[in-house]
Amino acid sequence: MTEPLLKVRDLVVTFGHGLHCVSAVAGISFDIYEGETLGLVGESGCGKSTTGRALMRIVEPSQGTVEFEGTDVTKLKGGVLRNARTRMQMIFQDPISSLNPRRRVKDIVAEPLDCWKSVKGAQRDLIVSDLLSKVGIDPEVYGNRYARQFSGGQCQRISIARSLAMRPKLLICDEMVSALDVSIQAQILNLLADLKAEYGLTLLFIAHDLAVVKNVSDRVAVMYLGKICEVGPSDTLYDAPAHPYTKFLLGAALEADPDSPIHGEVLQGEPPSPMNPPSGCRFRTRCPFATEKCANEEPLLREIAPGHQVACHYPLTVTSR
Amino acid sequence: MSGEKLLVVKDLTTTFATLAGPLPAVGGISFDLATNETLGIVGESGSGKTVLARTIMGLQPRTNVTVTGSVLLDGHQVVGASEDEMRRLWGTEVAMIFQDPMTSLNPVMRVGRQIDETLRVRMGMSRRDARARAIELLELVGIPSPERRYRAFPGQLSGGMRQRIVIATALACSPKLLLADEPTTGLDVTIQAQILNLLDELKESLHMSVVLVTHDLGVVATRTSKIVVMYAGRVVEMGSTRDVFAHHRMPYTRALLESSPKITSPSHTRLATIPGRPPNLLQLTQGCSFAPRCAYASDRCREERPELEATAEPGHLFACWNPLAHDREAVTL
Repeated sequence: MTEPLLKVRDLVVTFGHGLHCVSAVAGISFDIYEGETLGLVGESGCGKSTTGRALMRIVEPSQGTVEFEGTDVTKLKGGVLRNARTRMQMIFQDPISSLNPRRRVKDIVAEPLDCWKSVKGAQRDLIVSDLLSKVGIDPEVYGNRYARQFSGGQCQRISIARSLAMRPKLLICDEMVSALDVSIQAQILNLLADLKAEYGLTLLFIAHDLAVVKNVSDRVAVMYLGKICEVGPSDTLYDAPAHPYTKFLLGAALEADPDSPIHGEVLQGEPPSPMNPPSGCRFRTRCPFATEKCANEEPLLREIAPGHQVACHYPLTVTSR
Repeated sequence: MSGEKLLVVKDLTTTFATLAGPLPAVGGISFDLATNETLGIVGESGSGKTVLARTIMGLQPRTNVTVTGSVLLDGHQVVGASEDEMRRLWGTEVAMIFQDPMTSLNPVMRVGRQIDETLRVRMGMSRRDARARAIELLELVGIPSPERRYRAFPGQLSGGMRQRIVIATALACSPKLLLADEPTTGLDVTIQAQILNLLDELKESLHMSVVLVTHDLGVVATRTSKIVVMYAGRVVEMGSTRDVFAHHRMPYTRALLESSPKITSPSHTRLATIPGRPPNLLQLTQGCSFAPRCAYASDRCREERPELEATAEPGHLFACWNPLAHDREAVTL
């Protein structure tokens, strides 16, 4: 395959110092190829949002490299970093608090253009109107209204328009639909799919909702306690999970179907504290298949099928699933 | 026991007086619930489901809120009851679990004491008996090393643990009806499964009835026997869980079901969407509230409000002038 658009290697993000330090992201590596959507799922506290923020250098990575279009983003500074960020944009979870309530919608969307002074005057207004109509907000009617006058779903549309203003290659979506009602969520997900095709975007889609992630992603990476435990093509990973954690996670997801079986096996306990992670495999304290080897030796990501990697000493085989 | 109705709600309305005029958050709702039954109330945000639950609990403030109709809880009338009268029902007849376990617990009080409080005030237990019962309750809701946790502060516990504490507090006086308002929203899926299983087990072992208020259709699908679907403060469809999922007649119910992504369908499946957004309750029209977003809406829908209408299946009601036929192929909404 061609060179990936984004190449993350051994990324570590540590907060705090000395005894009180927490590795929210504890050494992860993954690639995102141009034009694809990589889903990143996991429970709260697993480090998925921190990963997204570290790629943008909103939080500083402690170790590792993030290669975007061939340059290592972690080494960039000042203007060069700001320039790189125009090609990777982020959409945040809470649409209302990510927009300034006292600014007009068209100014919010034009902000990136104004920052870079790339276009001015009539051309700028044209780009803004075009972006707003692309996301389903009528620029004539709503362009002069303030952000506070919009509902959550509309604010998320405006956020999308703003993130597209600089024509980015990579869009990092951090829980962008979790705060929305299902009917609005479906509108936004469909809109994202349309815009992805139109603008040729590459997406990193971070979310906790397994059904949503499957719907948007070509490949999915599952995180647990700061590590990636499984990566694979969405359909394969959901149909035949190889990591026990993935299996339990999928088993706990509820399907809106009264005939779906209630999964007997519910994962017991809660994730351990990332301040004091277990030795070896981080999932072993809750894993029913854990052995001594899991405590002594950390499993590394290895390929079990083309494109399907798992970090487990005893991956589930087709029969044991 | 199915003949015995624990909860009978009739023509219940809750109207808030606002500066912009009366806001009918709950507009004429009737349903009943038998002992040991679980009812799911589903709807999007602003559909009135939480207001409904709080009204049944008698938690609406006495000023600026008008409640009419009737809520009979094990023979006691809740509508119009004074706070003293409600106090006698809270705990033993009805208890409620709220969405956010952090804000429903006192952060500067040990969790054990918060459970004790109910037992000592409501049941008149001595400090020692209350402590013993509280530890029993902590064990019942699956908290490991309950003696130690008894002395913990809410901030020292995880979200799932806190929700278990809230459940223990609610169960302290063995209520007959448990109102659970979004009990698992904000919890991780694996923890959500644990809490829902716990509620199921407790319902069986303690012979409670449960009202589960949620926006998540996945939560109600396998855990409830009956469902009420709400839209803009009204019931648009109700019936047995199976009927509502398999034979829904109201276009909104279908739209709600089809717009949520399914974990079993292949990735990149196009989602059915509902255009527009829920109506402003201050500006409700004469007709069906869903008409402006409905693909099947006719002039009649816009002018005249449909009332709940029975179907062949007992207990299955819907409010629609142009209902879906069972076998009609899915039409893009």
